[in-house]
Amino acid sequence: MLLEISDVSLLYGRIQALHGISLGVDEGEIVALIGANGAGKSTTMRAISGIRPVASGRIRFNGDDITKLRADLRVVRGLCQAPEGRGIFPGMTVLENLEMGAYTRRDRAGIAADLERVFGLFPRLAERRKQVGGTLSGGEQQMLTIGRALMSQPKLLLLDEPSMGLAPMLIQQIFSIISEINSQGTTILLVEQNAQQALARADRGYVLETGRIVKSGTGTELLHDPAVKEAYLGVA
Amino acid sequence: MNVHAFLHNFWENTISGLAQGAIYALFALGYTLVYGVLRLINFAHSEVFMLGTFGAIITWQALGLDQDSPTPSFGPVVLYLIVGLAGAMVFSAVTATIVERVAYRPLRKRNAPVLAFLISAIGASVVLSELVGVLSRRKPRGVPRLVQPEAVFTIGGAEVTNLTIGILVVAFGLMFALDRFINRSRLGRGVRAVAQDPNTAALMGVNKDRVIMLIFILGGLMAGAAALLYDLKIGGTDFFAGFDLGIKAFAAAVLGGIGNLRGALVGGLILGILEPYTSSLFGTQWTAVTAFVVLIIILLFRPNGILGESLGRARA
Repeated sequence: MLLEISDVSLLYGRIQALHGISLGVDEGEIVALIGANGAGKSTTMRAISGIRPVASGRIRFNGDDITKLRADLRVVRGLCQAPEGRGIFPGMTVLENLEMGAYTRRDRAGIAADLERVFGLFPRLAERRKQVGGTLSGGEQQMLTIGRALMSQPKLLLLDEPSMGLAPMLIQQIFSIISEINSQGTTILLVEQNAQQALARADRGYVLETGRIVKSGTGTELLHDPAVKEAYLGVA
Repeated sequence: MNVHAFLHNFWENTISGLAQGAIYALFALGYTLVYGVLRLINFAHSEVFMLGTFGAIITWQALGLDQDSPTPSFGPVVLYLIVGLAGAMVFSAVTATIVERVAYRPLRKRNAPVLAFLISAIGASVVLSELVGVLSRRKPRGVPRLVQPEAVFTIGGAEVTNLTIGILVVAFGLMFALDRFINRSRLGRGVRAVAQDPNTAALMGVNKDRVIMLIFILGGLMAGAAALLYDLKIGGTDFFAGFDLGIKAFAAAVLGGIGNLRGALVGGLILGILEPYTSSLFGTQWTAVTAFVVLIIILLFRPNGILGESLGRARA
């Protein structure tokens, strides 16, 4: 198992945001984490990427215990998160943002090759490479966060709400790019409110409710689960 | 208002003001770098500068030069100046690093409120200044006569000396190098990333502690260079040298837009030039208030300073 979270709890001050959640991601998979607003999806991501310390439990990545590892060192190990929403560096150009993704790497040739790969996935970013990040549209900024995360050559890519605030057509586009990235060999853990799209693309999924995992299964199983349908897919 | 004196001394004031302004600008960079990344006013930076003024003197003393030594010939002078510059920069950078380690890092690890940092900064400033005060027996120290000011050429009847040219060349050279470093290098990008969004920077693999150490070192190096130039211009220093100049440099940083590297340059030069102008126009007793009057006027119209805030947007 590439990523294994066992019994992780996390506190925001006195408020407990995660109550002993356990989940796993195998190499090559797309795993979706779905749930309502405030269920703890983004918090789980922050625990995995190391932005928030966990109160208890263990996180293992690629066979090593990384529970107490600093966030920047997790990137070196091959764990990279594309943060939620507009998590780009607004004062840097598109190119500089992408170069920030490769911050931990020294192999110039490999970086240049990955830059071409990202520009291949997102031709829009290639057109705007000199433009300052803050002036991009919402969809372009979303593409930039994903492209930037890819620049670190992650073994596991964490995507936090990649479809948030996007028009339906763009959502389709982003999800097909996510599938493409996965088929090129990157394992993906995806947090989404758009459960329909996420589960349709995912090998497996977990349903998070008020800081607890209440259901798990293959993407198809969850898509057809009556309770999931009612709560997250807008089907009565 | 003495317009005649102002016009008569215009070029002389402009030239000496530019040299003084370049020193303010180098000094101001330390405030701006630390503020840009940590949103913290490092009040101990004035002492970082002050220790640099002693650093150069101590370095020269170690080489057997004191204020009574005869001026060496040109070749050795250049060498002494370079070694003195290095000495001042190292002294200041080490001081800045110690301040970060002792006064700020422990607070950061405990997520202390902003006010705690401010008190710690003032405390560090007092401790350093008094420490040097005790060690120097509160007496001023003279600088070896390495550079005898000589006119190289004249502009509008005012002499431009070798010292003025040297100050401007060193100051602008270092500022250009720093600007390139922050805007073009990988580490510089890391600094800007932490300034814009520390959490996202960590997600990209940037070690925040290392970036913070780096900005203190860079600010210290610049303050050390300013300290050497000050030594040469004034001819001596004392344990209180950082206080007055520190307030001016801080005002220059705010004037140009604190957190903005080029703002420090603009603010420093404007302040440096306006001081002698004021003194010509209204009399020398008004020089000291120039910085603050200008600051208040500019901030009324541009609350973020002339070039605006933000290290991340240093390119704009």
